[in-house]
Amino acid sequence: MVLDKLCKRFGGVVAADEVSFSLVPGKVHGLIGPNGSGKTTLLNLISGVTDMDAGSITLDGEIVTNLPNYTRARRGVARTFQHPRLLRRCDIQANLFLGIDLANRKKRLPGHSAPKLEELLEAAALQFDLDDSITTLSYGQQKLFEIVRALLTNPKVLLLDEPAAGLNTKEMERVDALIAIAVKNNAAVLLVEHSMDLIMNICDTITVLNFGRKIAEGVPAEIQSNDAVIEAYLGRGRSA
Amino acid sequence: MITKNKSTRIILLIVALALAALLPYATSNYMLRVLNMMFINYICVLSMFVIFGMTGQMSFAQAGYWGLGAYITAILTTKFHVAPLLALVGSALGTAVFVLLVGLALFRLHGHYFGFASIGVVMTMNGIFQNWTPVTGGANGMGNIPQFGIGGWECNSDMSYFYLLLFVVVAISLITELIHRSSLGRSFMAIRDNEIAAKCMGVNSYFTKNVAYVISGIYCGIAGSLFAFLSSYISATSFIFPQSVMYLVMLMLGGYNSIAGPIIGTTLLALLPEWFRPLQEYILLVYGLGVILLMVVMPDGLIGGGKKIYEHICKRSGGGTGKNQTSNGVG
Amino acid sequence: MALQMLITSLAMGIVYGMVAMGMVLIWRAVGVINFAQGEFLMVGAFVSYTLAEQLGIPMSIALVACAVIMGIVGVIFHFITYWPLRKSWDITVIISTIGASIALKEAATLIWGPAPLSIDPLVDGVARFSTVSIEWQFIVTIGVSAVLMAGIFYLLERTYLGHILQATAQDQYAAALIGIPVVVATGMTFAISALIAGVGGMLLAPVFFVTSTMGGITGLKAFAAVVIGGFGSVQGAIIGGLIVGMVDTFSGAYVSSTYRDAIVFMFLVVVLVIRPQGIFGEKIAEKV
Repeated sequence: MVLDKLCKRFGGVVAADEVSFSLVPGKVHGLIGPNGSGKTTLLNLISGVTDMDAGSITLDGEIVTNLPNYTRARRGVARTFQHPRLLRRCDIQANLFLGIDLANRKKRLPGHSAPKLEELLEAAALQFDLDDSITTLSYGQQKLFEIVRALLTNPKVLLLDEPAAGLNTKEMERVDALIAIAVKNNAAVLLVEHSMDLIMNICDTITVLNFGRKIAEGVPAEIQSNDAVIEAYLGRGRSA
Repeated sequence: MITKNKSTRIILLIVALALAALLPYATSNYMLRVLNMMFINYICVLSMFVIFGMTGQMSFAQAGYWGLGAYITAILTTKFHVAPLLALVGSALGTAVFVLLVGLALFRLHGHYFGFASIGVVMTMNGIFQNWTPVTGGANGMGNIPQFGIGGWECNSDMSYFYLLLFVVVAISLITELIHRSSLGRSFMAIRDNEIAAKCMGVNSYFTKNVAYVISGIYCGIAGSLFAFLSSYISATSFIFPQSVMYLVMLMLGGYNSIAGPIIGTTLLALLPEWFRPLQEYILLVYGLGVILLMVVMPDGLIGGGKKIYEHICKRSGGGTGKNQTSNGVG
Repeated sequence: MALQMLITSLAMGIVYGMVAMGMVLIWRAVGVINFAQGEFLMVGAFVSYTLAEQLGIPMSIALVACAVIMGIVGVIFHFITYWPLRKSWDITVIISTIGASIALKEAATLIWGPAPLSIDPLVDGVARFSTVSIEWQFIVTIGVSAVLMAGIFYLLERTYLGHILQATAQDQYAAALIGIPVVVATGMTFAISALIAGVGGMLLAPVFFVTSTMGGITGLKAFAAVVIGGFGSVQGAIIGGLIVGMVDTFSGAYVSSTYRDAIVFMFLVVVLVIRPQGIFGEKIAEKV
């Protein structure tokens, strides 16, 4: 997927200022930046939840900029949300099948085989009764469940919005395992996170945003030593 | 619910059906008429179940669509002498088209606004029913509607209508349950519970809402048509906003999240007034207060509340370890 | 003739506006449509009948007494239909108010009997301005309503109590955190809503017969007024009420008296399709 100069303002606030980068199948791309830098907005622009002011998005060579978000989902863009968006009045089976329905709706893509449910559940270490209400899962389990649901759709692009927020260490390992499955199935993963451990360990490349602008891009090692990034997070040091 | 065993459920259903089929021999004609009206209301409550219970879109216009179905049948049979079965189909189709147009115009509205517009729709429809005398008979209503019949067979007694309506009710219930379990039904519920998540999971919410609405409209159209045949006379005073509210209350009483809800809600609200005959004067007061009480105590309806009580009892006697814990160690 | 109709429609409209204003106040405070708002008007009319006709209290005192009684009714209503449900799905509150409207209607029939009642006007007689004669009742209605609404505006915008009400309306949780007793604020909001609708009922009672069904269609038209004026806007509700009053009266006279109700509601649907946020409303976006 190629993002070209995406722009979005909300009134006076510039949430995205000519942001461009690419997502490659089988690779994990991190997106970090201080709070309010526009990370979630970018995910909303890519998934189609919010309309862009300017810019274009291409998926597998086709322009998807003007497609509504359900069409992008059918073309293989899957996402999770900062706070899990599950069907709270439905049982677990219905929630799972929402993902399977989408997988069935899409045409068979060569080279992409859908991850198996058992494999995903094992990686997420989730056990449940299909008839149970979704509310019986804990917060961490719900976040993992949402990733499982996204992976069930056999996505080409997987957008993860702070999957580790609110999770304990064991649960974060499960996120890692699920992302590994996504990579194995050749999905292009965009990971928005605050947890530096997760980002630095599993990302192949990272983009850093601040006030909607891209201020750095590169491999983890480069980012960690990048002055602009350090300044954005920690501020400028006082002169002696 | 009572039991998860599939074959036990089917046996229970067959037994219930058999009992229902024998009912006319055990009750009075008066009771049969009550039950017939109950069946008609049930179909409209199912319509509310589809559009509101499953899809989460509050529509107060269902009584109007019910009326539309009734008037289409009345006009087709009395003015154009169309055969009853064709009139039934005509009602279903006519209502479907009308509801589609309404939905196309109104589903651009989000949240409560759609509900508000539906109030406008039912009030407008009622105004037209009441006043468009050349077509609807205006305040005089329309009478002399022939009995329902197919080919040589004709419904000419309360008992024959009972079986006809029982058949329709069972058929529509099965269809509704099939929808409920299908991917279409899931897309409805996804829109209800989290429209944004639904859209991100590939559901075209505008289109799907219209599908749900048209289905609900067809149910109302059929119910209206059957009502016209059953009563032989229809008048605009039946097709009013409070009637839609009653369907909603029947749905909420039983429970909006499963098909058992409409069954229980409709049955109770149809039969309770009969059991409370001596207190007739106060019945509406009790109804109004009862609705408030219902919302406070059991907003998920009897089915939902019943489930919660059941789970509570299970937890108490089953004890200890829950099943929903992430496994540590292996895996 | 047209001037007379204008005054009549203004009087009707201003009462719709008051009922609508009450609805909007409740909406802003607790995010719920009160479907029993029309019944507040009806109860106010019946209460004024009891005060004026049965007890023989002079009109001006009856007006104040009616307002006080309706305020109390509003508070009781708040505790029965809203307070227990304040944390639930908003559809349940809406249904609860619908139940309350049915209960109120029946209670009124049981208490006052099913026959329509008539009540003397606040001020008898007709005012003459050169060639035009207008019944004093309409002028009084407009006057009293305007004063009452101005009073409420003053309360909301200029007094400490009003600020508490507005704060609670904007964010109940935050208001509670800074020590505002939320129950007092929401209770007062319902009291004010019931009060203005009830006074509206008292003002309209001499013009129409007092029946238990008078609240139904009025409530729905007031609801139309709220939507047309724009959700969440108090000025919108009043303007919406005036517009509905005019559409109602003028379409009744010039287009068709039989279809007048249908026309009002068709107008509502058209406004919703063209401009869902109404005249003064704001679009609300959902945070993802």
